[in-house]
Amino acid sequence: MDLAAGRIVASERRAIRHVDPVLIAAAIGLAVIGLLAIYSATHQSLAAVGLDPGRFVKRQLTFLAVALIVLMLAASFDYRLLKVYAGIVYVSSLVLLVLVRTPIGTSVKGAQRWFELFGFQLAPSEVAKLALIAMLAAFLSEVRGELTVQDVFRTAALAAVPALLVFLQPDLGSSIVFAAILVGVLVVAGARARYLGLLALTAVVLIVAGFQVGLVREYQIERLRAFLDPASVSEDALHNREQAEIAIGSGGLMGVGYLKGSQTNLDFVPEQHTDFVFTVVGEEFGFAGAVVLLSLYGLLLWRALRVAMLSRDPFGTYLAAGIASMLALQMFVNVGMNIGIMPITGIPLPFVSYGGSSLLLNFAAVGLLLNVHMRRFV
Amino acid sequence: MFAALTTRLWFLQVLAAEQFRNEAKDNAVRVVEVPAPRGVIRDINGTQLVNNKLRLVLTVNRQELGDDAERVLMELSRLLNIPADELGARLDDALKRYYVFTPVPLVVGVSRNVALFVKEHHDSLPGVDVLELPVRDYPLGSVGAHVLGYLGQISKEKLKDPGFAGYKPGDLVGISGVEGAYEHDLAGTPGLTKYRVNSLGQNLGQIGELRPQPGNDVVLTIDADVQELAENSLRAGIMHARTVYDSSSGADLNANAGAAVVLDPETGAIQAMASFPSFDPSLFTRSMSSREYKRRFGEARSSPLLNRVIAGQYPPGSTYKPFVAASALQRGIVTTDRYYPCPGSWTAPYNESDPSATQYVFNNWTPASLGSMNIATALAKSCDTIFYPMGYRYWDMYYVNPEEQAHGVTSHEPLQRDLGYFGFGSPTRVDLPYEDDGRVPDAEWKRTTHEAYPDSFPEGQWFPGDDILMTIGQGDTLVTPLQLATAYGAIEDGGKVCVPHVLDHVESPDDTLVRRYRPNCRRSVHIDPRYLRYIRDGLTGTVSTPGATATAAFSGFPFGEVSVAGKTGTAQVPPKQDYSWFAAMTDGHGEKHVVVVLVEQGGHGATTAAPIARNIIEGLYGLPLTQFTDIAGTD
Repeated sequence: MDLAAGRIVASERRAIRHVDPVLIAAAIGLAVIGLLAIYSATHQSLAAVGLDPGRFVKRQLTFLAVALIVLMLAASFDYRLLKVYAGIVYVSSLVLLVLVRTPIGTSVKGAQRWFELFGFQLAPSEVAKLALIAMLAAFLSEVRGELTVQDVFRTAALAAVPALLVFLQPDLGSSIVFAAILVGVLVVAGARARYLGLLALTAVVLIVAGFQVGLVREYQIERLRAFLDPASVSEDALHNREQAEIAIGSGGLMGVGYLKGSQTNLDFVPEQHTDFVFTVVGEEFGFAGAVVLLSLYGLLLWRALRVAMLSRDPFGTYLAAGIASMLALQMFVNVGMNIGIMPITGIPLPFVSYGGSSLLLNFAAVGLLLNVHMRRFV
Repeated sequence: MFAALTTRLWFLQVLAAEQFRNEAKDNAVRVVEVPAPRGVIRDINGTQLVNNKLRLVLTVNRQELGDDAERVLMELSRLLNIPADELGARLDDALKRYYVFTPVPLVVGVSRNVALFVKEHHDSLPGVDVLELPVRDYPLGSVGAHVLGYLGQISKEKLKDPGFAGYKPGDLVGISGVEGAYEHDLAGTPGLTKYRVNSLGQNLGQIGELRPQPGNDVVLTIDADVQELAENSLRAGIMHARTVYDSSSGADLNANAGAAVVLDPETGAIQAMASFPSFDPSLFTRSMSSREYKRRFGEARSSPLLNRVIAGQYPPGSTYKPFVAASALQRGIVTTDRYYPCPGSWTAPYNESDPSATQYVFNNWTPASLGSMNIATALAKSCDTIFYPMGYRYWDMYYVNPEEQAHGVTSHEPLQRDLGYFGFGSPTRVDLPYEDDGRVPDAEWKRTTHEAYPDSFPEGQWFPGDDILMTIGQGDTLVTPLQLATAYGAIEDGGKVCVPHVLDHVESPDDTLVRRYRPNCRRSVHIDPRYLRYIRDGLTGTVSTPGATATAAFSGFPFGEVSVAGKTGTAQVPPKQDYSWFAAMTDGHGEKHVVVVLVEQGGHGATTAAPIARNIIEGLYGLPLTQFTDIAGTD
């Protein structure tokens, strides 16, 4: 025991030297852009109602500080411990997802997604994302040899449970993220394309059935329809989309300048500090700013995939792959809906959007990536 | 994935950026219209007849009032000391001038205290506001009310009219009078103020301004002094008439309404246009309940809003005779050198084709025979029995011989054609809205009217009596006082008919001339000017020769100083009392005027209308005004 502890301490000393500064810098860079954008999006409307214009940005800064601590915590222990406890973490996250549906959870706009904790909101769906990644990684790393069709469907079942629970909240966006994590991990684990195809077919059948029995809420259908056929839907759904496009489009090549965007400052884009924060970057920093932002994601994902490749064990590889898929999909869906090529779903932009849960979990994810990366030689 | 995002961003931010930039600008900028100050209306001497004054106006927006209407109206009632149901009825406005979504001006000229109270109790008085607004102000009160007209919100029909392009629902426009006729001069162009707003529409400050272009000033040919004189004389004469006993109806004269017009025969410029009863135009700056509207402007009050000078149609009675005489002289039916008998009655000639037909007897206005006289004297003494035979001759001419019929000629109606030359039967085209046509009946009119209304108009055939009664301005003949004045102007001016007008010129707010009204006079009367001069000279006898109809009314008048040629008229409008007419042409001090006066149910022309006309003429030439006294009835 003493020996083991000593060995761990020794390896920790060595591990810290293998931290990936590029990964950390990319994540913090995105968070800083987020802070700037949140301030721009909120200071005018807060001042207009007599509140501190820095209210939101200060809260986000606090989250960021906490998030950095979470990052260090997530990097500090040996990630292989997570493989041991993955089952417990996974089941706990499912319990939280069920509890949020009870009166303990807080309802916003007809959707129950949060717990109110010490004045902060905790979204269990965010926790569940990491928990699922850990669970899938743990499960798949135990599979010997090539993945059988049973393995694929068992893995899918693990993802389907939280996906269904968040879908009922209803939070279509998070369900899609769970699906993306599943696909990402399965692909990296070498699942045959045939099996993936079969899985997709099953999913489509189930989703269509879901529509038929009315599991999908009216507003979700409407948002989806707004994307597919802009002329047919309510003004509210169209409004989101139009205002976002106007904001980004009016930014032009170089942007209108920080704090100068009329769409941003005058509150024309709904949910602008959360789901539509990308429009601030688009309007005020233009195409150049948007490309810088996307480049940071590119950097982040490159480093994440590099971690997956360098990992010394399959668990680390699958963990990194799951995290990379999660971040990539969230980024793509969010930016995509901001610029009108994806339907509007409630997915925040990782590291950038206002919101504690998302920020903490994303930094925790980066912490885990660092964890895997640092311990690749031990 | 990154390629897809970047491509889309390139499209949005680089290729389509211009369009989105404009949309963002539209989003963030609100444009508020700044009303243009409406032009001032002045008289020919520069006296302001209508200008604008800032007044505190209490407005109520019916849509914002919602369910609270009753409570709010009760509260306003206490505040303003006006019954709540009256306030509620004002919201609906008798003239329906206000749109549901625009604030209705309930009370104009509330006190500062009321304004403060409303501002302080904004929450408990939803939809209620007190605004300081420029409101039409009338320095001379009701003087010229009918000429000036009033404003109201633009009607739906006008909004569709291309002539009102640029107007929006709720905009104020001139509805009647000069306000209506010269709307486009007076209105000006509204300005714009640009504000930045947020998505809640909150004002974040002004970013641009386009100053309103004030409306132009309209200067009228109306002379405020003459206008006031005409209105006062008309009112005083009517008040006196109401004390005069009318033997034919066995009661005092009703004299419920009247009209007077003064114009320049050489240009058609109208110097005064009075209609009794009149109204206070400032009442129209606010909304009005139907009850108040009816009480003030109903038929029981003789419809004060009606401008009787242009929109009142009456049988002209004997004031028509000069035009019939002109036609008869021109066509050789009568001559200037012959004398004609004036018996107490005249019987239409025996009808050879139908021996059983009734013999129609037409009476003179007096049963006594007035002896033989020439046409000039027949006019001065207004002998009906000299004019009836003229009518019968016109009836003779009406017939078409078979040869003419073969050439498609259906009738000869020279009298109607000659009366048309003087402007009867068609609008004078005066520059005021809502003018009536009058009527010169002919066979065609009678037939079509009968076909359209067979029950109320049972006879469709043209009879000798139609021509005979037309010679004394009765039957189906109708004229407006302005038509009559214009026609007398043509006699005075040697056959030139001028389009009457109230506009002298339009000038910009900095007093530069924009345009001047060009008098529109045409020698359209195809009658030898010698005959017109003969008639004009003959009409001087009306007021000056012994035994003529208006000699008594003009006794003591200084004809040496001012020449007056006139004609009385007593129009029968059964079952009402007779309508009293007087038309005059005056010449003195180098000025010519035509004065026409009508009093509904005013009895004989000499009794009521002639003394009023005398008063107006005295005022025009600065002579001392004669008191109204009882004058015996002649035609």
